[in-house]
Amino acid sequence: MNAPSKAPFKARAKAALADPVLKTAIDRTTGNAERKRAAAVAAFPEFEAARARGKAIKDHVVAHLDHYLEMFERNAAARGAQVHWAADDAEARAIVTRICLAADARLVTRAKSMLGEEIGLPHALADAGIERVETDLAEHIIQLAGEAPSHIIWPAMHRTREQVAELFKTGHHPPPAAEDPATMVQSARTQLRTKFLSADIGISGANFLVADTGATCTVTNEGNAELTTTPPRIHIVTAGIEKLVPSTAHAFALLRLLVRSATGGEMTQYTTFHAGPKRPGDADGPEEMHIVLVDNGRTKMLADEFREMLRCIRCGACMNHCVVYRQIGGHAYGGTYPGPMGSVLTPVLDGLAASRDLPNACTMNGRCAEVCPVGIPLPTLLRAWRRRSWREGLEPGSIRTGIGLWAQLARRPRLYRLATRIGLPLLRLFGRGGWISRLPLAGGWTDHRDLPRPAAQSFMDQYRAQQKGRK
Amino acid sequence: MTARDRILSAIRTALGPGKPPAQIAAEAAALLDPAGIARPHLVAPVLPDAFALKATALGTTIDRVASMADLPQAMARYLDAHGLPPRFAMQPAPELAALDWQGLAPHQGTAPDEPTALGLALCGIAESGSLVIHSGPDNPILMSFLPLHHVAVLRESTLLPYLEDYAARLSAQAVPRNAILITGPSGTTDIEGSYVRGAHGPGFLHVILIADAGTEPG
Amino acid sequence: MPGEPKPTVGLFVTCLVDAIRPQIGFAALQLLEEAGCTVEVPQAQTCCGQPALNSGDDRDAAHLARQTIAAFEGYDHVVLPSGSCAATMVHGYPDLLAGDPEWAARARAMAAKTHEITSFLADVMGYAPSGRRCDASATYHDSCSGLRELGIADQPRALLAHVEGLEMRGLPGNDACCGFGGTFCVKYSDISNAIVTEKAEAIEETGADILLAGDLGCLMNMAGKLHRRGAKTRCFHTVEVLAGRATGPAIGEDAP
Ligand code: SF4
Repeated sequence: MNAPSKAPFKARAKAALADPVLKTAIDRTTGNAERKRAAAVAAFPEFEAARARGKAIKDHVVAHLDHYLEMFERNAAARGAQVHWAADDAEARAIVTRICLAADARLVTRAKSMLGEEIGLPHALADAGIERVETDLAEHIIQLAGEAPSHIIWPAMHRTREQVAELFKTGHHPPPAAEDPATMVQSARTQLRTKFLSADIGISGANFLVADTGATCTVTNEGNAELTTTPPRIHIVTAGIEKLVPSTAHAFALLRLLVRSATGGEMTQYTTFHAGPKRPGDADGPEEMHIVLVDNGRTKMLADEFREMLRCIRCGACMNHCVVYRQIGGHAYGGTYPGPMGSVLTPVLDGLAASRDLPNACTMNGRCAEVCPVGIPLPTLLRAWRRRSWREGLEPGSIRTGIGLWAQLARRPRLYRLATRIGLPLLRLFGRGGWISRLPLAGGWTDHRDLPRPAAQSFMDQYRAQQKGRK
Repeated sequence: MTARDRILSAIRTALGPGKPPAQIAAEAAALLDPAGIARPHLVAPVLPDAFALKATALGTTIDRVASMADLPQAMARYLDAHGLPPRFAMQPAPELAALDWQGLAPHQGTAPDEPTALGLALCGIAESGSLVIHSGPDNPILMSFLPLHHVAVLRESTLLPYLEDYAARLSAQAVPRNAILITGPSGTTDIEGSYVRGAHGPGFLHVILIADAGTEPG
Repeated sequence: MPGEPKPTVGLFVTCLVDAIRPQIGFAALQLLEEAGCTVEVPQAQTCCGQPALNSGDDRDAAHLARQTIAAFEGYDHVVLPSGSCAATMVHGYPDLLAGDPEWAARARAMAAKTHEITSFLADVMGYAPSGRRCDASATYHDSCSGLRELGIADQPRALLAHVEGLEMRGLPGNDACCGFGGTFCVKYSDISNAIVTEKAEAIEETGADILLAGDLGCLMNMAGKLHRRGAKTRCFHTVEVLAGRATGPAIGEDAP
């Protein structure tokens, strides 16, 4: 939805690789995240047991998704919330804009929600002529920069402190007095304070939808969610249908995993359950609460081999530990969700034809699955996309031909031996010393590194000769 | 077909026939770790200590006093230590109003730039060092978010060991509109991952812990 | 194991070892024999099929899986000097052939007796090299498939600890991918290059004379990058050092 650039993946990746400032920014945030997560997991010896339980809870919910959706709907309605259903992003956008227009809303505050990005809410609000103020600090930064998030936990992680200072200098009135993070955060606090209190509508996402209470749950460290959802007349929640949990206690079991995996903390500063609008006599709170339950490809995933992806609790650990993400950052992926989880989700959301590079641009090293707090076998799911891309003929002709020719040889051991007998000496001709530094058709390798010169005689031939000698 | 029907029927097609609700509920209950093998240990043997250790690790400050009667003094101490004016917003709760505030000037209603607010926590959670507040006629939510300094009164007798214990308590009562777990002062790591306090919510969280459970303070 | 019949081992040398560095195959052969195995090298082996599998070409991958199973299932054990090819046989084959009534069970049966060589030597045969010397400092990179799919981490280190004179140095980020990823390194060569550049920097910073790893693909990637950067680090497969064969030319040094 928010593809920052229409350039092909490889071009985007190349541009990202050429940006040393971006690399510095990525290293700072992901390096910190990796260290802190490791410490948090080490301090929680029961982590493995908790992970198994978290996985089981999500599997249980997914296996009874209809049951829990109806239970949630019933209980949310009983608390006075209005529940809406959206089959896709367009329906979700339409529902939210309709509520905003009906309320004659001019100013909307928003607490960070990746689902909101997924359904294209920022653009929809702009198209409806509604002023949108992002209240999460990182979202505030990228709103000033006119960018999409580059990470699901730290949306502005691609920006260095110096770049943020530049943005605040022109975007804040008055500009911050200094460029240190503390002064800049203070400046954002002042800027946004009046917006919080004068907004007509506050929009949030949900980290959990609690079926047995009908509550939605937000977790933040800044306290912006509560300031977004409490003062305005209307609170709108947009949430994916996979966010359900049976009860508050189940939400806590997952929260322990979420926070440790995301930031290496143990608990977010503010964990808030929102059950319906203001009650009679309540001191504050919104007069209306709307909850938009969004499918947008989730039931499709449920029906096919991507069901396990519905366990995802959006912690971002997989991208923090991904060697590819750490080189190219989030924007190069071109979808709403970057990194390993994004490479599984983007083909669902944007179609495989437009995103076949994503599941392929992975070394299959498995670190993402190793850190995923709900045990999602990300490489297996990426492989499933590769299989589908091959089957549907989306892989480029050069790759199909290359793999095809190689397979024909590999399937015929005698012919294969013959090919090595002829090929190896030929290849050696390109070598100087023990190395080949340029090889036609192998530029992908030799542009960047030398290739060890092959053996004059293959192992199999040498071995056979030895065996004959022994006899 | 409405979107609701389409979504539910797509789910049912994918999942096949469902189980009886009672069976689903039993399965869900079984996932709740009754033996406690999948949760962290408390960091101290008694709840107030465990709570205090966790809370202070996150930057919350704690003042342990003997009884509610000590509250005005404790509040004066805090305001003094931070050079704050004696005026502060106070939760409209009868037990707070009943106290003798001496030279302090509590008032109702929270201004957008209120320096300090004082409120009651419903309970605390030792596992995580969290305070719990519920919205209600005598508890405006914004009071805990607008001020720079949030001072919360917590009775030791209300401390619960684990998050699950709070969940159990919650399910035994009518669902509040807002149930909020506050775990440390507001903060952000959004600029280069460096931690800054007081992003939007309070930059300071101070807990006055009342020793009403028979535990000696300190 | 005196008295007992020697276990038979089918050695799958892998296509890269076959073509690029046969010495790894001979080192593996030697170690397996020293460990008390009867080793055979079936002539019907080519490639485990990973390039097809990783490209999504399951038909060709399944064909190679069947061909390999047919050639190797008769041995007591199947051993490979590669964690990633071993992982393909242990996890990939049973998945690929799960829906094939004839081959599913055969794939599972072979998976159960397939091993990466250092884990086979250490865990199954209880082997430890003796009388081996290598006067050098070395650092070790954990190749991803072996590490995460087969749990290979302690075995190579334990075996290397028996080599006299070898000073092992820790490699920061030892368990981070080197950027090889099979066909990935040529399909997305710019990204791969960025990853292996960081890896090479980390290796150079250890100051070790030698880089060791258990997968020739990763080794070629790292060795090729180190050489392009003009680094002096020499690269060997773990089994070459264990077999006392790290005396001659390292990977890329002109072999006869
Ligand atoms: S896939 Fe796993 S690691 Fe990645 S965001 Fe989702 S839950 Fe976190």
